[in-house]
Amino acid sequence: MSTTPLPEHPAWLWRNPDPKPSYDAVVVGGGGHGLATAYYLARNHGLTNIAVLEKGWLAGGNMARNTTIIRSNYLLDQSAAMYEFALRLWEDLPAELDYDFLFSQRGVLNLAHTLQDVRESTRRVNANRLNGVDAEWLDADEVAKVCPILNTSPDIRYPVLGATFQPRAGIAKHDHVAWAFARACDAMGVDIIQHCEVTGFVRDGDRVVGVETTRGRIGAGVVGLTAAGHSSVLAEAAGFRLPIQSHPLQALVSELYEPVHPTVVMSNHVHVYASQAHKGELVMGAGVDSYNGYGQRGSFHVIEHQMAAAVELFPIFARAHLLRTWGGIVDVSPDASPIIGPTPVDGLFVNCGWGTGGFKATPSAGWTMAHTMATGEPHPLNRPFGLERFTTGALVDEHGAAAVAH
Amino acid sequence: MAETSTLRRSPLSHLHDRMIAASVTGDRAVSVTETPFLAQVSLRVEPGTAAAARLGTVLGGALPDGVGRTMTAGTLGVAWLGPDELLVVAQADPQSLTAALSEALGSDRGAVVDVSANRTVLELSGPGARSVLEKGCPVDLHPRAFGPGVAVTTTLGPVPLLLWQTAPATYRLLPRTSFADYVARWLVDAMTELGSPEVP
Amino acid sequence: MMLLTCPWCGPRNETEFHYGGQAHVAYPERPADLTDEEWAEFLFFRDNTRGPFAERWAHSVGCRRWFNAVRDTRTYEVLAVYRPGDPRPALGDAVPAPTPAP
Ligand SMILES: Cc1cc2nc3c(=O)[nH]c(=O)nc-3n(C[C@H](O)[C@H](O)[C@H](O)COP(=O)(O)OP(=O)(O)OC[C@H]3O[C@@H](n4cnc5c(N)ncnc54)[C@H](O)[C@@H]3O)c2cc1C
Ligand SMILES: [Zn+2]
Repeated sequence: MSTTPLPEHPAWLWRNPDPKPSYDAVVVGGGGHGLATAYYLARNHGLTNIAVLEKGWLAGGNMARNTTIIRSNYLLDQSAAMYEFALRLWEDLPAELDYDFLFSQRGVLNLAHTLQDVRESTRRVNANRLNGVDAEWLDADEVAKVCPILNTSPDIRYPVLGATFQPRAGIAKHDHVAWAFARACDAMGVDIIQHCEVTGFVRDGDRVVGVETTRGRIGAGVVGLTAAGHSSVLAEAAGFRLPIQSHPLQALVSELYEPVHPTVVMSNHVHVYASQAHKGELVMGAGVDSYNGYGQRGSFHVIEHQMAAAVELFPIFARAHLLRTWGGIVDVSPDASPIIGPTPVDGLFVNCGWGTGGFKATPSAGWTMAHTMATGEPHPLNRPFGLERFTTGALVDEHGAAAVAH
Repeated sequence: MAETSTLRRSPLSHLHDRMIAASVTGDRAVSVTETPFLAQVSLRVEPGTAAAARLGTVLGGALPDGVGRTMTAGTLGVAWLGPDELLVVAQADPQSLTAALSEALGSDRGAVVDVSANRTVLELSGPGARSVLEKGCPVDLHPRAFGPGVAVTTTLGPVPLLLWQTAPATYRLLPRTSFADYVARWLVDAMTELGSPEVP
Repeated sequence: MMLLTCPWCGPRNETEFHYGGQAHVAYPERPADLTDEEWAEFLFFRDNTRGPFAERWAHSVGCRRWFNAVRDTRTYEVLAVYRPGDPRPALGDAVPAPTPAP
């Protein structure tokens, strides 16, 4: 075996520093939300003595496992504001971060297959427009023009009766998004520390003053949890509970094909969604596995269902080959809306509950979480999404309302 | 009251010709038929009680007492569906059978309900029958684990049904009426392959 | 695909079952007496254990009975199954599965 060291990788995008004894702010979890939080802490609040602690490798969680759908056509005002703000940030981020992460505004169709779907969809189009979100209602013929490979014939089990269309929605290359944020963070002095698992919290009375990690104790002015599927585990270590259940969520890709699918199609009723990534693979997903699970894998019958649904909607996919399936751990909240805000522990803030749909919110989650950590007060956008809503009853119930919540 | 029995149509009457045409002959022969309009009675009773014993007497044998178990007496059969739930399937008049069982239950805790319209009965038979079912049933149907006299509630494809093996190469399938069309078409489709030479 | 052992029917495929979340969550004796915090706790907050977790399953296409299982949420290994009303068994103390009649 050769002992010559491997040549240095030419393009490290961030340093791999050792942890300092303490930071002004520590962000737990190096997924998209943790990186965006650190980025906006530095960019918007001038805090640069900060660290992102990641137990595995950067973006090894849901960030590089999601199906990359970005849209803002949510029903409720609070959600529309949060996701639309994210979409505006997405539109500027490739230039701002000087990184082409293949953000492609190819539009999203949310199909309606029943009269009830049609009613809900048209209601959502109206609500979206009132909230400044671009939205159109298309009939089946117009849907066929946007996506010619979709089966819009009337004699199938669940005929396509129409769809909502958000032209500004689309996809982006998720791992590149993480790298873009990481590089920008690093350039502003943020320490990104991988293979550093947070195992406990250091407290001074009611206040958190640091974290215990597999790389030693690290002091912290404030701590933000952005650990997605592991949020409950960290909350338990900090001594409080979250109304979160962690489920496996799976997705799959086909082998690479010529471009056939020009947009993103989501169907709540047949229950699948599909797009075609830049390299050419068909990307599909659907709902969570029913049981709680931290295994980053799910059951194969769920994949079979997704594929059956996809072939129903796109007969041309019948000859495509499945290449790969995988799973992430998604943090599902009771009202299918996120939780961003203070916790019962002073100085400890949480951003979680994005479940199956937080990739699209990466920039606004980071922006509002950074605001909350830096000022101790929620930003107007995340004020409705505090933990207290489960006691007051002011839920932001996007269940069903948001179509498939990805 | 007007005579309505002549109007009665089984859930699969429209598919009988298709089912006959789908019959496969040869080594892997298999055929499917519908046996419509059997009497079906749902029994809920605590096992091991006096009421359970009285119901058994009416039916002609002790009630089956565990998963997979059945009891047969002439053209009547009883399948175990759950710890206190059984299904009687019989060539009989459902009203008088239900009445006799209700009387046997008396005022003891339990229920006797005529559910004859709930499910229809398909019979799949022939040396190829097991391979047809194995295409879509998660239960192990190999003779080491299953055999004549065993009945379980399970699924065929996406459809829940009662699967009852009555002879070495004969299975009764009892899907709910609204799923019967789907199940019959599923079987016809799954049988087709057995008509061609087996690919080794 | 998980193989779950129904206490009444024996081992069956996961597709025959319906998930019911955390087990042993009792309905409050007197809901009207609870504070908002206590009611929220009952309604929305469940354990989300990473490791052995006592949870409910229904054998929905089989015997239609609910039962409990202790399952490791990291590996999905089922460590025990037991009937509702029975206490959570010590680990490894699984109820022996009935074998279906031959
Ligand atoms: C299959 C799948 C498809 C999806 N599709 C979409 C979609 O199309 N559109 C969309 O908007 N959203 C989608 N999502 C949801 C989206 O991926 C998540 O909501 C989002 O990624 C969560 O934020 P994150 O990126 O910060 O999470 P993650 O990338 O999971 O980041 C959390 C990080 O915390 C780390 N961590 C955990 N515990 C500790 C600890 N103790 N110490 C240190 N670090 C720790 C983890 O290792 C992980 O890297 C999908 C998710 C999945 C799984
Ligand atoms: Zn069972």
